[in-house]
Amino acid sequence: MLQLLKIEWLKVKNYRTFWVLSILYLVSIFGSNYIAWLVWDSRPKKNSDVNMLVGNPFKFPDVWHVVSYTSSFLMFMLGLLMIISVTNEYSYKTHRQNIIDGWSRRQFVGVKVLLTFIISIAATIAVILTALAFGLFEDASLFSFEKFEFIGYFFIQALSYSAAALLFSLLFKRSGISIGVYFLYTLILENMLAGFLNRYFDNVGRYLPLESTDNLIRIPVFKMIINQFTASYNTTLLLTMALIYLALYIFLSMRKFETDDL
Amino acid sequence: MYGKIQALNNVSFSIPPGSVFGILGPNGSGKTTMLGIVMDVLKPTSGSYSFFGQPATAELRKNMGTLLETPNFYHYLSGERNLIIAAEIKGKGKDDIDNVLRRVNLFERKDSRFSTYSLGMKQRLAIASALLGNPNVLVLDEPTNGLDPVGIAEIRDLIRALSAEGKTIIMASHLLDEVEKVCTHVAILKKGNLLVDGAVDEVLVNEDIVEVGAMNLPQLITVLQGMNGYTNMKNNGKLVQLFYAATTAPLESINRHCFNQGVVLNHLQLKKKSLEAKFFELTN
Repeated sequence: MLQLLKIEWLKVKNYRTFWVLSILYLVSIFGSNYIAWLVWDSRPKKNSDVNMLVGNPFKFPDVWHVVSYTSSFLMFMLGLLMIISVTNEYSYKTHRQNIIDGWSRRQFVGVKVLLTFIISIAATIAVILTALAFGLFEDASLFSFEKFEFIGYFFIQALSYSAAALLFSLLFKRSGISIGVYFLYTLILENMLAGFLNRYFDNVGRYLPLESTDNLIRIPVFKMIINQFTASYNTTLLLTMALIYLALYIFLSMRKFETDDL
Repeated sequence: MYGKIQALNNVSFSIPPGSVFGILGPNGSGKTTMLGIVMDVLKPTSGSYSFFGQPATAELRKNMGTLLETPNFYHYLSGERNLIIAAEIKGKGKDDIDNVLRRVNLFERKDSRFSTYSLGMKQRLAIASALLGNPNVLVLDEPTNGLDPVGIAEIRDLIRALSAEGKTIIMASHLLDEVEKVCTHVAILKKGNLLVDGAVDEVLVNEDIVEVGAMNLPQLITVLQGMNGYTNMKNNGKLVQLFYAATTAPLESINRHCFNQGVVLNHLQLKKKSLEAKFFELTN
């Protein structure tokens, strides 16, 4: 497996687009949270109603939740990195050459699955560091691992988004269409469908593929208000569904690549 | 089956070890499709293939050097870095890389990005990649594609040299001349069907054709029938054609024979049957 990863590393090591996007993504994780912090910090501090309503989301333990939530808006970037990595192989036809040179089809697609884990781990580490930075800055004495499960949810969400991107790239093969369909699906189409199903079919829209991971990390502020008009969430079921979908993305990706004409 | 097109139909042959085996056929005859199937990049509807009498596996592919259709490399990496990846996949060391780059005259440009290479250089890099790890079997799909005349001659020399080292070389080509010049064996495909296969000097038999004419054609034919040595005789109404094995047509003795039998020739011409004509005859 290390040998396979070494080869993937050789492919990506000198690929500038990948690194530019990766670094900007990591900076943006911090950036998006900094924006949220600026918005929160500009609240009317003397208004006790506002203070009671929002509290301090950047203190431990809430910061684990808040930073995971804010960072999750950048999930599509992980998908983009994955799509580039796979569709590049198609446009250079190196997916064929790797097989011709002696990789099995399973090895080729297996490395891409490993890549989804690696970029998800990298993103999760960035989120942990960002949460630590804000939490320690606000009040280091409150440090705790309470609510650290949100970091775990973030990791599962990251895995789901990148594995779904892997499947999309293997299905569409071309970068343009993969990126377009992936963005529209993750940002709009699934949310639209989820909204419709939630409204008319007793909230089943919550269990759509990526929706189930989005709902693991729910909006951390205004809980008191929101909870009044949404049905309660079943986290165990969401988690189960998320893992089932994840297994499905990986299974379908492997199957697609192992049976396709390359 | 590839989509709705049946690209290959019951093609079956075996390749003798140590041969330079040409797969010859016009564009779209199924050469690349067939090689794609044995390299596991295309999935056949049915059929089987084996290497060295064993079922084909990824491990076996590591010990073959293959250039399939186009040079496939990472455009943003240098020639050398691309070969490092290929060598890693094949499980061969990096020691061979300089050597194979020199062998295809690409060593000076090894640090240039693949995207800056000319078509001929890309093709050379693909051949260099196929040579990594000194494999005993090479599969080269139109190896001289995109090369200039000097490059073509170099690659042909390289193929002959590799063959002399005892390697088995499978080469697909639509260039009959190329197959005739470098191959020992050949299989000819047309629209996915195998027309013929065997040793080159058996399949692509060259013939000499002697055209003979005289005032009295029926008498000439009678006289010629009394002569032996030719393989076939054809009469096109104006001239008589005699077929001989390559380079064996005895013009003088034909002339003498006819004259002695009282027929004076008014036409005697040796025609070499071109391989091209042979190829058209086989594929049409």
